[in-house]
Amino acid sequence: MKRLCLTLLGLLLIAPARAEDLVSGVSQDIIQITSNYTGTNIVVFGAIEGPQAAQGRDIVVVVRGPDEPMTVRRRDRVAGIWVNRDAARFEGLPAYYYLASTAPLSRIASQEALARYGIGLQALRPTQVGSHHDPEPFRQATIRYHKRVGLYTESPGSIDFLSETLFRTRVPVPAGVTRGQYNVEVYLFRDGQVVSVQSTPLFVDASGLERRLFNLAHDAPLSYGLACVLMAMLLGWISSVLFRRPA
Amino acid sequence: MEIYLPVAEMSVNWLFIVALGMGVGFLSGMFGVGGGFLMTPLLVFTGIPSTVAVATTLSHVTASSMSGALSQWRRQGIDFVMAGVMLCGGILGTLAGVWLFALMRRQGQMDLIVALAYVLMLGSIGTIMLRESLATLKAYRSGITPSRRPMQRGWVQILPFKMRFRQSRLYISVIPPIIIGFVVGALSAIMGIGGGFIIVPAMIYILRMPTSVVMGTSLAQIIAVTAITTVLQATSNYAVDIILAGLLVIGGVVGAQLGVRAGARLRGEQLRLLLAVIVLTVAAGLAWQLVAPPTDVYSLSEAAP
Repeated sequence: MKRLCLTLLGLLLIAPARAEDLVSGVSQDIIQITSNYTGTNIVVFGAIEGPQAAQGRDIVVVVRGPDEPMTVRRRDRVAGIWVNRDAARFEGLPAYYYLASTAPLSRIASQEALARYGIGLQALRPTQVGSHHDPEPFRQATIRYHKRVGLYTESPGSIDFLSETLFRTRVPVPAGVTRGQYNVEVYLFRDGQVVSVQSTPLFVDASGLERRLFNLAHDAPLSYGLACVLMAMLLGWISSVLFRRPA
Repeated sequence: MEIYLPVAEMSVNWLFIVALGMGVGFLSGMFGVGGGFLMTPLLVFTGIPSTVAVATTLSHVTASSMSGALSQWRRQGIDFVMAGVMLCGGILGTLAGVWLFALMRRQGQMDLIVALAYVLMLGSIGTIMLRESLATLKAYRSGITPSRRPMQRGWVQILPFKMRFRQSRLYISVIPPIIIGFVVGALSAIMGIGGGFIIVPAMIYILRMPTSVVMGTSLAQIIAVTAITTVLQATSNYAVDIILAGLLVIGGVVGAQLGVRAGARLRGEQLRLLLAVIVLTVAAGLAWQLVAPPTDVYSLSEAAP
C-alpha cells in the first residue's frame, strides 16, 4: 500500500504537459502463485490530465489473460443418456478477462465502436474456429462458462474517482487463473471515442515448490511418476510398521 | 487450509482431502479392497478434473495395498509366480488402457466412458454381493450351514501352456491368469482402480486358488499394476498430481489401519452386505448423473495436447 501511494504521488508530480493524456499503473507487475494461493486483488490506478478532464469522459480498464485454445462440446440425449456430440474449437480467446468501467458499456460507446476496439465480453472473437456447425452458440457457451467460474467478468461502475482526475479500481484475480502474460489496458473515452490507451504487462507465475513440481511433471515425467510411486510405497510401509499389532 | 495443486491447477482444502483419504482408507481396510472405485468418483464430485482424479487415485491404492501386502508377505500369503504371470497380462492391459484413455480424452468421451464403466461394474458387483450376503445371513438365521458348491473343472482345465504354481497348489494353463491380468490392467488405467474387487472373485471362482493366498497375491498384483499405471499416466498424460496423491495417501494409510481394526469386529456377511450397499449407492449416484438433464448442455474442456 505504501508503494502504491508513492507511485500515485509520483504520477501526480510528473504530470505530463500534453493536452489530453492518460497515465496509469498497476499495483504489482507479477503475481506469484504459491502453495496457499487462493486468489488476490490487484489495483489499477491512473490519472487523466488535460483542460477538460472532468467532463464527458469515461474510463475502461481491461485485464486480459493469455489466449488459450478451448474445446466446447454440446451434450445431447442419446438413448436416455447425455452424451457429448457436437464440438467447436476456438483459438484466440483469453483464459481470463476482467473489465471495469465508469458506466455500463452501452452508455460509453456504440456497439460498433466497442466491437472495433475489441472491448467487452461480446467483442471477444476467436481468431480461429474449428466447427462443423454455427459456432455462435458455442462461443456464447464459452463466455457463459467463464462467467460462471469467475474468469470472465464485466463490472461496470467499479472505478472510483479519488479526485477530479485520479481514478482507481480493484481487479480480483481468482485462484483458477492460468500462468502467463496478462495485459492491463486502460482506455480513456470521450464522446464515444477512444482518445488515449495505456497498456501494461502483468505476469502470473507459480513460484517455489509449485513451480518446480509443475516443471518436473512436464520435463521429467518418468522420475516424477517414479517419485509418486516410491512415496506411496514408503508411506504404506511406514504405516504398517507403526501400526503393527503386538504379536 | 487451502493448498494449491500444481498439476490439477486448482486450490483445495487440504484437511478435506486428508479426511477423504482417511474415510476411503477406513473402508478399504475394513473390507480389504483398494478403495479406488470410491475415491475416483468422490474426487470428481469435489471438482478435481476426472483425468487427474483417475491418475492420482492409483497412488492411494498403491499405498493402502502396500501395508496389507506386507502383512500377508510375513505369513507367506503371496504366490509370487502367479502374481508374475498375471502381471505379464497386466502390463499389456495397462498400456492398452493408457492408450485408450488418451484417445477418449481427445474425443471428449472420457467422462462418459468412465461413468458408464463405473455404473456397469459397480451395479453388477454390488447386486451380486447383496444377494449373496443376504442369502448367507438368511441361511444363518434359519440355522442351516450353506453348502459349498462342488468344484467345477471347466474350460480352465482344457487350455494349453500349463504351469505349476507351487504356493497355490495348482497346475493350470497360464492363459486365464494372463487374461485376468490384462482386463484388470486396462480397467486400472481407465478407471483409476486397483481392481481388487475383480481379481479376488476371479482368483477364487475361475482359477480356484486357495483362499489363504488370494488376498496376498491380489494385493501384490495390485501394487505392481497401480505403480506401473501411475508412471505411464505421468509420462503420457501428465495427469498425476503429487501433492494431491501425498494428501490422499497420508489420510489413506491411517484410515486403512483403523479400518482393519473395525472390520475385525464384524462378521464376513455383514461386511459384505454393508459394502454392497455402499457400492450400489455410488453406482446409483453416477447413473443419475448420466440421465439427469445437465444444468448447461455445453461444457468446456481444455484442448487436448
